[in-house]
Amino acid sequence: MALIELRDVTKSYKRDAIEIPVLERVSITVDAGDFLGLMGPSGSGKSTLLNLLAGIDRPSRGTVRIGDTEISSLSERALAAWRARHIGFIFQLYNLIPVLTAFENVELPLLLTSLSKKQRRDHVMTALGIVGLGDREKHYPRQLSGGQEQRVAIARAIVTDPTLLLADEPTGDLDAKSAGEVLTLLQRLNQEFKKTIVMVTHDPHAAERATHLLHLEKGTLVEQVGSRA
Amino acid sequence: MKFIGLVFKSARRSKRRTLLTVISVALAVFLFATLRSVLDGFDAVSAASSSTRIVTIRSTSMIFPMPTSHAEAIRSTPGIRDVTWANWFGGIYKDPKNFFGQFAIEPESYLRMYPEVILSPEDKKAFLEDRTGCIVGDGLAKKYAWKVGDRIVIQPGIPNYGSQDYPFTIRGIYKAGSSAIDNQSMLFHWKYVDERSDVKGQVGWYVAEVANPDQAAQVAMAIDQKFANSPYETKTDTEQQFSASFASMLGNLNLLLGSVALAVVLSTLFVAGNTMAMSVRERTTEIAVMRTLGFPASTVFLLVVGEGLAVSVIGGALGALLARLVINGEFLGLAGGFIPAFGVTNWNVVVGLGLSVLIGLLAALIPATMASRLKIVDALRRVA
Repeated sequence: MALIELRDVTKSYKRDAIEIPVLERVSITVDAGDFLGLMGPSGSGKSTLLNLLAGIDRPSRGTVRIGDTEISSLSERALAAWRARHIGFIFQLYNLIPVLTAFENVELPLLLTSLSKKQRRDHVMTALGIVGLGDREKHYPRQLSGGQEQRVAIARAIVTDPTLLLADEPTGDLDAKSAGEVLTLLQRLNQEFKKTIVMVTHDPHAAERATHLLHLEKGTLVEQVGSRA
Repeated sequence: MKFIGLVFKSARRSKRRTLLTVISVALAVFLFATLRSVLDGFDAVSAASSSTRIVTIRSTSMIFPMPTSHAEAIRSTPGIRDVTWANWFGGIYKDPKNFFGQFAIEPESYLRMYPEVILSPEDKKAFLEDRTGCIVGDGLAKKYAWKVGDRIVIQPGIPNYGSQDYPFTIRGIYKAGSSAIDNQSMLFHWKYVDERSDVKGQVGWYVAEVANPDQAAQVAMAIDQKFANSPYETKTDTEQQFSASFASMLGNLNLLLGSVALAVVLSTLFVAGNTMAMSVRERTTEIAVMRTLGFPASTVFLLVVGEGLAVSVIGGALGALLARLVINGEFLGLAGGFIPAFGVTNWNVVVGLGLSVLIGLLAALIPATMASRLKIVDALRRVA
């Protein structure tokens, strides 16, 4: 069953009077439960495609449908509420809030829900437990290693049990060992918790963990690398 | 409520910067509350002034005296019910720093015309019967730990009153029944001063009571006409006008103090606004991340405004509290008798706190708008 449907999506940016095309008529279908790897050189439009899926950017043309929702037509406010409910985003540079502890960082998306303090605590501890950092709840980001920071970021991404996990170069800033742990964690989330994941990566080793791969070049889908499932 | 922790954590991000902003707001509110209390002191005098009392001084200036013969001339003016007079003594108690108002009064008529000077019948009797007796306000008595029966010595500060010290016996401690009366003053017999003065029969000002307050202006004019073209021309005003003209000797206080307060508040507003703008600019990526997590623009706006308010209100509360504790009549003793000792009131504190809320809101307005309108993708790209 298709969870993501992009139809003829075109995205271009205006820089002064010049229009710069980033994506050209891209159409993708991703089934629920897939772990899709998006590869391509810098500037190929991978991150832009991820941003469109996350609802933090809008296509110039075409439609983006996630589940039953045509997100390209939602208002800003509705889109924010939709993101809070359906998207978990993992950044390359972790992007944890430095003045908040690991617990508070993971709790952040839950502040937008109607959960009680105790329920929030249970959710956060479950998420931290899944990423193996249940004992680091009181640590600040500066007290964690890069790999641990990224795992906290993953806990933050999964704490609301989102429909879709999006990862933008999640291992791009990590050493090989930490990168391996993060990829294993993502794979586990996909296989054990049936999370649909779209991951942008340059790294062929990271791409190997995906069940499907797509290759973008100059804004167009150039080859369907195929299923690894 | 669940966002309050987030607001305070954000405010503590740069502790030094936040502390400096808190201090600047605290100082602004402290100064504002203090200046406001000064203006309120003057306003209170005007508001509490009697509508039946009119005050006559020399037309040139109140520092020049008039002869006692004016008393009968004023008393005989149609519409006048009673007359009293007083002199500014300007003496020194131990040290020139111990400044307070000292007035030589005609005691019987003065106490009759100023029922706001509240004195027990026994104290009043003792004062009237003792030529070297004096009465002091309860604020002044507290300041110098004086009690009835104490003997105090005042050195004359104005050459006309001779060079000999003036010993006094405290015969009563009065309370001020309204803001028109200062509780930091000392009152004593005009005769006692007059008999030791180099120039006899000199009066600083007359106070007359009119039978009909509606005719106060006409009566005042009639008094001044009586002394027109004499060596001692007069200027008579209602007590309210007299208080106002005394205040105006210090310049346009409302404009002066108001301008100072406004300048301080505006500069603090710019400091706080700049701090908030810097804080938000440094957090561009974090705000973009929060928006990505699903925080609506309105929530981001409120979080930034909340941060501005928290910093400003903490500063405001500190400043207002400090002003309330430090600026009071007993501490300042600035009244000098013409104006009741002023102090920061609860209302001044409330207004100061309101001002800090306003500073917080205005300072955060532009940064909060910037944060809420942030384009997520652009903000993330700046760092990535």
